[in-house]
Amino acid sequence: MNDLAGKGTIITGFRNVFKVREAPILIYVVIMIAVFSFTIDRFFSMKNFEIISRQITTIGIVSVGMTLVILSGGFDLSVGAILSFAINIGGLGIVFGWPIWMVYTFMLVLGIILGWINGFLITRLAVPALIITLGTMNIYRGITMVITKGVYITPIPSVYSFIGSGYVPFLFYAAVLGIFTFVTLKTRFGRNIFAIGGAEESALYSGVPVRRYKTLVYIISGFLSALSGLILVGKSGFVQPQAGLGYELNAIAAVVIGGTSIFGGSGTIAGTFLGSVMLGIILAGLTMLAVNPYWQGLITGVLIVFAITLDSLRYLKR
Amino acid sequence: MRIIRSGRLKIIFILIGVNIFIMAVLTYLSPTFMTYANITAVMTRMSELGMLAIAETIVLISGGFDISIGAVMALSGAVLGTLHVMGVPFYLSIIIALGAGIAVGFLNAVLVVNLRLTPFIVTLATMSIVRSVVYALLKGNVLTDLPEGFLNLYYMHVLKLPLLFVILAATAVIMAIMLKKTILGRRIYAIGGNEKTAFVSGVYVKRIRYLVYCLSGFICALAGLLFTARIRAVIPDAGLNAPLEVITAVLIGGTTIYGGKGSILGSLLGILAMYLLLNGFSLLGLNPFWEVIILGVILIVVIGQEGIIRSFKASFTRRPV
Amino acid sequence: MITIEKVSKSFPGVKALDDVSFAIQYGEVHGLVGENGAGKSTLIKILSGVYPQYEGKILFDGSVHHFYSPHEAQTGGIATIFQELTVIRDLSVAENIFLGREPTRSLGLLDWNVMREKSREVLQFLDTSLDPKETVGNLSVANQQIVEICKALVLNSRIIIMDEPTSSLTEHEVDQLFITIRRLKEKGITILYVSHKIEEIFKICDSITVFRDGNHIGTVEKEKTSTDEVISMMVGRSMNMMFPPRTTRQGGLLLSVRDLSRNGEFEHVSFDLREGEIIGFAGLIGAGRTELARALFGATALDEGEIELYGNPIDHFAHPNRALSRGVAYLSEDRKGEGLMLELSIRENMSLPILKRISPYFFVKGNRERELVQSYVSKFKIRMTSVDQIVESLSGGNQQKVIISKLLLTESKVFIFDEPTRGIDVGAKYEIYKIMNDLTLEGKGIIFISSELPEVLGISDRIFCMREGKLVQEFTRDEAEPEKVMKVLAAGENLVGGDAA
Repeated sequence: MNDLAGKGTIITGFRNVFKVREAPILIYVVIMIAVFSFTIDRFFSMKNFEIISRQITTIGIVSVGMTLVILSGGFDLSVGAILSFAINIGGLGIVFGWPIWMVYTFMLVLGIILGWINGFLITRLAVPALIITLGTMNIYRGITMVITKGVYITPIPSVYSFIGSGYVPFLFYAAVLGIFTFVTLKTRFGRNIFAIGGAEESALYSGVPVRRYKTLVYIISGFLSALSGLILVGKSGFVQPQAGLGYELNAIAAVVIGGTSIFGGSGTIAGTFLGSVMLGIILAGLTMLAVNPYWQGLITGVLIVFAITLDSLRYLKR
Repeated sequence: MRIIRSGRLKIIFILIGVNIFIMAVLTYLSPTFMTYANITAVMTRMSELGMLAIAETIVLISGGFDISIGAVMALSGAVLGTLHVMGVPFYLSIIIALGAGIAVGFLNAVLVVNLRLTPFIVTLATMSIVRSVVYALLKGNVLTDLPEGFLNLYYMHVLKLPLLFVILAATAVIMAIMLKKTILGRRIYAIGGNEKTAFVSGVYVKRIRYLVYCLSGFICALAGLLFTARIRAVIPDAGLNAPLEVITAVLIGGTTIYGGKGSILGSLLGILAMYLLLNGFSLLGLNPFWEVIILGVILIVVIGQEGIIRSFKASFTRRPV
Repeated sequence: MITIEKVSKSFPGVKALDDVSFAIQYGEVHGLVGENGAGKSTLIKILSGVYPQYEGKILFDGSVHHFYSPHEAQTGGIATIFQELTVIRDLSVAENIFLGREPTRSLGLLDWNVMREKSREVLQFLDTSLDPKETVGNLSVANQQIVEICKALVLNSRIIIMDEPTSSLTEHEVDQLFITIRRLKEKGITILYVSHKIEEIFKICDSITVFRDGNHIGTVEKEKTSTDEVISMMVGRSMNMMFPPRTTRQGGLLLSVRDLSRNGEFEHVSFDLREGEIIGFAGLIGAGRTELARALFGATALDEGEIELYGNPIDHFAHPNRALSRGVAYLSEDRKGEGLMLELSIRENMSLPILKRISPYFFVKGNRERELVQSYVSKFKIRMTSVDQIVESLSGGNQQKVIISKLLLTESKVFIFDEPTRGIDVGAKYEIYKIMNDLTLEGKGIIFISSELPEVLGISDRIFCMREGKLVQEFTRDEAEPEKVMKVLAAGENLVGGDAA
């Protein structure tokens, strides 16, 4: 049994935000920063942190959506594909010369629609979310490739870079974190997601609108993927069809490392944030240590295994 | 020889019919389809996906799941190429490459059986781990330095059929016989059908799962060798799309996600259907990207159907405890 | 008052409730007793809206109500606390209490003030010191139950159904629960208290209804009846079940166990099994009989104990395979979950344990397999179209025959049958008794576990009573009378005169 009055109150004001589980991760992050600072020149520098943080934001936003999905007991493998679809198809608006607000709206709406499709299929067909999103992932990417024919959209007007410049991505990330921390802790929708993930039948019997909420969760994930895409375009300055490749894996890693249970029903946005940070730091640190970037996949994979092993042990104890 | 169970017969016939239909349409639409050159090309190209399908079929029947198949395929090629470049005798390189596949299978087994983690996430993780090992080994390059003898395998024929295809056929036959006719095969179906029942009936569930995952790793590694022989090079992106294609084909072929049902024959027919479609696309000059879209749709439709039927059944056969 | 009028419910192969009628007065604590399979849980599920299809009527003060979903039942004022609690572990007490009906402010924001206030009210009414903000997963089972009761109160329920509420509670917690129930009663809430623990029923209930085999046997006021009378209603004097004639003959010692223990499940169990004998294990849910069987068989691990098989001491079975290879077979009580592979054929199901035996090398000898399977199909008259038929499509009775055939094919000497006739119609039950008899005539020994007392008494040569993990009493066939045995099991008494194990 967890001892609530103890580690969890390390950060007294944020007792709701952090549960006992997240405290160890925070400690790991601090340790890692310390270790890397000593072993690498210039690790502990503003510039470096800026670079790392920027890397974290795009995946970070997607991870928030993934957190909601996993909390509700589901899965979304299509996040990267939705991102790519949104910015590429939406990006056609840039080619047609639409005003920026129109293009952005279009991209976000596409994200919402694709997310809705996921939610619809998952709630209507009694098929695991895994399989559905495996299918939609490929469908969305395929359509993207067919329409774009592999062609990049470049150059794009500099006004699009605003969203990716300076501290703007952080603002968005912070806003997303704040909003969804609020949602998961304080709104009926957010709390019911835990119920759906933890004991769906009970929730259903108690009158929770399971189907509606589940669909909403996927819509949010799609929206956040698209939003992340907007920032990505801002940062990179062009739109490419291969965008978002591998995002699913990193998002799942961040969520799982952050202490959210893959079985659903337990976890926090804050935990995912820490998970993203940890992932970002590890990957950045390794790059600086001149470790071959190809090892990234391995590290991510190993971290996932560790995280779910811990999760599994915790789950079995119940 | 009775290889097929009665319920399976329907699906097999449907698939054969679908394949014949596609072949007929393609023959009509394109003069180059029904040529010896084209048919043997299809056969050769099918070889490695067919092998992956065999591996995945066995894993699914046992109630497991393996999404790392493409990565393992790339791994064996990468290991082979790298060792050869390092001057290791070729036969030894082949053995080590195959061993690498078995090792990954073993790793999957440990995580799934001993740590009791969900097979999907586990193999997702090992997939990314293996893939990154592949990239690291090849440093992103394509290797073409392979011995003449090996490269010539592509051209070799047995009784007018491409050698690579024959290897696939032989593996398929051996595995099919194993599944349907041997005690081990029965036990694999049993574990997939109901793990607890199998356990209580005296089946050593853990041991068999280990075997299944290692076997899968081995077959995927073998597939990697075939692939390398076919394209006569080692590439880091090998098998990237494999999970979707293979899983869709295997599911169409009658194997279920839940375990206990399935056949090698069905899976191969599924792969054949997919390849004919792909072949048709290239012959008719259609955009190859349509493939992923269609596969995604097929995946959802086929499994969606099964899911609906399952939940239908479940709500009708409720008994009191 | 609430009237249950001629309610019936059937499932394929079994009539769970047969024309049941009785009345529950408002504001009373009404006990519902009966053995396993008597129909109690079916009635609960009908009242809670889990089973929307049934025949008959349910009336509240004369007007008919029919609940088509749990949600409707709750809105209609019926709250049920099931044996498996349905709380959401990761949410707080208050959130669980208000699940699905959370008070909100604008933007869908939870109105914590209201939730906290009302939760406090309810918690205080029940005189507990639980904190509304506490995470439910951290609470004890007893407290989780309180949370569920609070949930019922907040819904303004008029009736609270409690299904075996004390199965996971300590004595002290049970007392607390009773105090809570009295408090609820003061508030005018009707309680339907379902249990098979007679002691408790008599402590807390005002009137008692007895079910048996899906029938309503009687409803009496507690003051006007006694434990004995209730027990006799539960078990029924008339043996409306027939048993094949049986002569007890005992041969040599097959199995001898001493001090078998498994932490938290059972302890110090010792008994002998002889050739040609059927020993029956009677007990209530949670007595530990299945756990004992599974540990003996090797499906789970034994912590302590000695086993002698066929006169030789042996190690604990580490895996069912070991047990089977030495001639010990186990029929699981969980027919669907552990007895069959539903999507496989009759043939494949039956032959699984004996594959090695019929095939010398790697290959399954199809012919031999068919022969053997066919022989049992004919012997037991299993109704099917072919041995390749999927077992899922068979009826319950036939499915059970497949499982039993599977066991018999192993040609074991010791059989452990765990609830072999659960959920099966009378005709099929009789056939299974005959099978058991025939086995013993061949010199095999059977350990028979059942929660249907008449069965245990009707077919066993000796009867062991288990209660809370201990073997408390042994009866011979002649000594055992239904009331006596039930008293030992349910009323917590150990009789003098009858072998204590």
